[in-house]
Amino acid sequence: MSEPADTRDLMPGPGPVSLYVHVPFCVLKCAYCDFHSAPLPAEPGIADHFAWAVAEGAAHWAALGALDDVVSIYVGGGTPTTLGESLVTLLDGIRDCARVRAGAEVTVESNPDTTDPATAARLVASGVTRFSLGVQSFDDEVLRTLGRCHDAARAARAATELASTGAHLSLDLMCGVPGQTLASWRDTLERAIATGAGHVSVYPLAVEHGTVLADRLASGAIGEPDPDLAAEMMALAEALLGEAGLARYEVASYARAGERAVHNSGYWTGRPYLGIGPSAASMVSAETFAAAVRCEAWGDPGVAGIGRTVTELPDGAARVRFTRSADTVAFLRKPVGPPEDVEFLTAPEAAAEDAMLGLRLAEGITDRLAEEAGACEALAGLAAQGLVEHAGGRWRVTPAGWLLGNEVFAAVWNAGARRGLA
Amino acid sequence: MSQATHIRNFSIIAHIDHGKSTLADRVLELTHTVADRDMVEQVLDSMDIERERGITIKAQAVRVLYTAEDGETYQFNLIDTPGHVDFTYEVSRSLQACEGAILVVDAAQGVEAQTVANAIMAMNAELEIIPLINKIDLPAADPERVRHEIEEGLAIPADEAVLASGKTGQGVRDALEAVIRRVPPPEGDPDAPLKALIFDSYFDTYRGVVALVRIIDGSISKGEKIRMMATNTVTDVEEVGVRRPANLPVDELAFGEVGYLITGLKDPALVKVGDTITLAKNGAAEPLPGYREVKPMVFTGLFPIDGDQYPDLRDALDKLTLNDPALIYEPESSHALGFGFRVGFLGLLHMEVIKERLEREFDLDLLATAPSVEYHVFTTKGERLIVHSPQDMPEPSAIERIEEPYLKATVLVPPDHVGAVMELSESRRATFKDMQYLSATTVEMHYEIPLSELIMDFFDQLKSRTRGYASLDYEYIGYQPGKLVKLDILLAGKPVDALSFIVHRDKAYQRGRVLTEKLREIIPRQMFEVPIQAAIGGKILARETVRAKRKDVLAKCYGGDITRKRKLLEKQKKGKKRMKNVGNVEVPQDAFMAILKVDE
Repeated sequence: MSEPADTRDLMPGPGPVSLYVHVPFCVLKCAYCDFHSAPLPAEPGIADHFAWAVAEGAAHWAALGALDDVVSIYVGGGTPTTLGESLVTLLDGIRDCARVRAGAEVTVESNPDTTDPATAARLVASGVTRFSLGVQSFDDEVLRTLGRCHDAARAARAATELASTGAHLSLDLMCGVPGQTLASWRDTLERAIATGAGHVSVYPLAVEHGTVLADRLASGAIGEPDPDLAAEMMALAEALLGEAGLARYEVASYARAGERAVHNSGYWTGRPYLGIGPSAASMVSAETFAAAVRCEAWGDPGVAGIGRTVTELPDGAARVRFTRSADTVAFLRKPVGPPEDVEFLTAPEAAAEDAMLGLRLAEGITDRLAEEAGACEALAGLAAQGLVEHAGGRWRVTPAGWLLGNEVFAAVWNAGARRGLA
Repeated sequence: MSQATHIRNFSIIAHIDHGKSTLADRVLELTHTVADRDMVEQVLDSMDIERERGITIKAQAVRVLYTAEDGETYQFNLIDTPGHVDFTYEVSRSLQACEGAILVVDAAQGVEAQTVANAIMAMNAELEIIPLINKIDLPAADPERVRHEIEEGLAIPADEAVLASGKTGQGVRDALEAVIRRVPPPEGDPDAPLKALIFDSYFDTYRGVVALVRIIDGSISKGEKIRMMATNTVTDVEEVGVRRPANLPVDELAFGEVGYLITGLKDPALVKVGDTITLAKNGAAEPLPGYREVKPMVFTGLFPIDGDQYPDLRDALDKLTLNDPALIYEPESSHALGFGFRVGFLGLLHMEVIKERLEREFDLDLLATAPSVEYHVFTTKGERLIVHSPQDMPEPSAIERIEEPYLKATVLVPPDHVGAVMELSESRRATFKDMQYLSATTVEMHYEIPLSELIMDFFDQLKSRTRGYASLDYEYIGYQPGKLVKLDILLAGKPVDALSFIVHRDKAYQRGRVLTEKLREIIPRQMFEVPIQAAIGGKILARETVRAKRKDVLAKCYGGDITRKRKLLEKQKKGKKRMKNVGNVEVPQDAFMAILKVDE
């Protein structure tokens, strides 16, 4: 399931696309979470209602020909498994209208507290190929700090249950959590390896504004995370996971051979994606966007909350990224509606963005992309600082560059973005 | 033209924030000088910065016509003066143009240091002083206590003090009636040779320098040839007029009147505040007394963050000096900061205002180095050097002695806080002179203090240590020797000229230690370790280290995150633009001001 090294070559025009579905429901919001989520409303039938709304959204894009070659589906959140059986309805609804490539990756995010073996089995039967399980830690103390509503034992059991369905399994882990020690982290990594998961994502904790965690930090209830310790933990993750055969292929992603995330890799290689659900983001070519604008479902495009007439794309726009409103009720009422935020990128900007994102990957970017992005000079500068290296016609980050990625991303993006739209 | 008997020239003087400009607004309203629809707050403060900060920087003169209770119409020339100690000279010149002054005292705050300073200036100018207790609508107003303070502390009879509120307009008419009753009409000789006092000036892009004048003797009309006595400049009068508050040309300004004068001169240096104007032929023999050159007291380096803005900065300074002859500047170059200017100001407020105007009105991004004073350095070779910048300080071995400017500082404070003032003053090398009780609630303390200490957040400290009760005034008294040394700051082993400063030898170690600690907090972690050192000559006094940055990466980056995180990177880049690259170390602007905020 490994990706072509540079899927950008397949752009532009209609072609492979990824589909993202955002399920905004959670049992309980975690202390660090700034994603869009809320408890599943108690109304009867709400889960099915949501599933049908997603299907309607997919049908809209399918009618425009935008879902003719779906290479991956990712159902994220929130916690999609809060929908229970309705998740099967949701996936069936998508398959009814979209052309999903044979062997496409279909991932469902899950949390230990909402995972049950029966539902998992039914999901696999209806085409789910991969589960992404939010373990975060195998240390109960750390889980408490993060405000998770499961303990380490439950997480381990959930991993075993999901693995036994035969689907691929990915685990999310967090480091740099206040109170977390290196020993605790090492233990978490070892237990994650022991589950046999083929994919692991490692995120250093980022304290986002407005979260419970941010409040508790501000009030002094917990100590500041130590960035140096987080760096050490990330280095330890690379060492231990690497030894266990999980090679780092992206800033935060580790996989055994053939287990790389197809869907996520699309984000870093410029593959178009369509997002359905509250606050879901989409990225499409200007042509696809124009087609969507012309269709009646978006209503009067001149007043579609965009503040400009989108029927006339800005000169030179090559790529469009847009986000739907985060309002779940509005989504349920009208699953196909105009986007709330729209961003237009020129071809050089799109190239700069792809170069920036491509440098998150172990294989880096081609000379050609670096050239298109106007980033060659910036990359040479970064090489002098020891953050990237050039070999075999590709630029890639060095071990130091993994940890100081923002230096690399900012330099590459800012070098290319100067030629943006006026 | 009014009869001189019906002219009243007066100022409103006050401690800063006691409500002077608001009171002036009410006078303009009451006399219908400004149509209601044109009424904005602080009409006489025309600069944005004046309105926003609620301060008066430039003096202003406005003529209003007031029909009094006796049925007669009087010509009032109201001269609004700056309230801040930086502009004391301008205030003193403005007062020379008047026969009376309304002394505004806040009904809650009472007499403060600049109340005293302004009252003394008004007394020296032999003005009739009308005390006015303002803001009597405030819940904390205590007019009786304030009346007592005015009498006890200033020796001004206050039983007839006007009780007023600039906010509600209460008492404003009483104040104007008091002006008619108590301020004498101007005296002067209509037949004597012309003597006109320039009490302020401004630059008009189309008309050149506009001088605000008070005619003391004689008269002046359009077309006459005049001479500025201090600068010995002869020119023609293009226009005379009065300000209502817009300029209104008149045929003649006669003795006792206040108005404006346009000559077509384009160089503000020739039209100096305090100078006397007379006729070119058969002019006055002697100028009016009291003129002096305004000298800047505080100096700082101003550097464009983007070196390409250097010519823009020069043009902007050029333009500002037109309106503000007290501002002086000369080119300065720094290894760390590139090309910029060493700029001289009357004081700290003046400095802040100018920097803000440069950034705002001229769209410049500026970096200011720590303020310095004018040091007199006597070398072993017997020369006397004038040093405005630590960069120009000679090697210690070449210095015989250094002298620095001293001030006489007056602090007014409630008796409870005398100890706090003493403690602060001692730590700032101030010499206690004397103190006296102005009233049971106010003590007046006198110090001699080096100006260099006063510009190091002295005022902020004074306010915070006395819970806001202390007020401060100061005047320059001359130079005194001091054991001063230049303290260098090294970043990554290299001295940063823009961070060096001059300090008393006994405090060098302490200040070096505190400053390196402060810089360690301010300078963000870089890709490599950055040592910060403080040194005198080659001797290191203190060292701190900014550790190398190990992790800086947005780990989660999927579909919805991309735009947001990219914008974050763009924002970080903008933040970096506000930093200065010193060698290969990125230094935030705050670092260059950190020297000022060294709490000991």
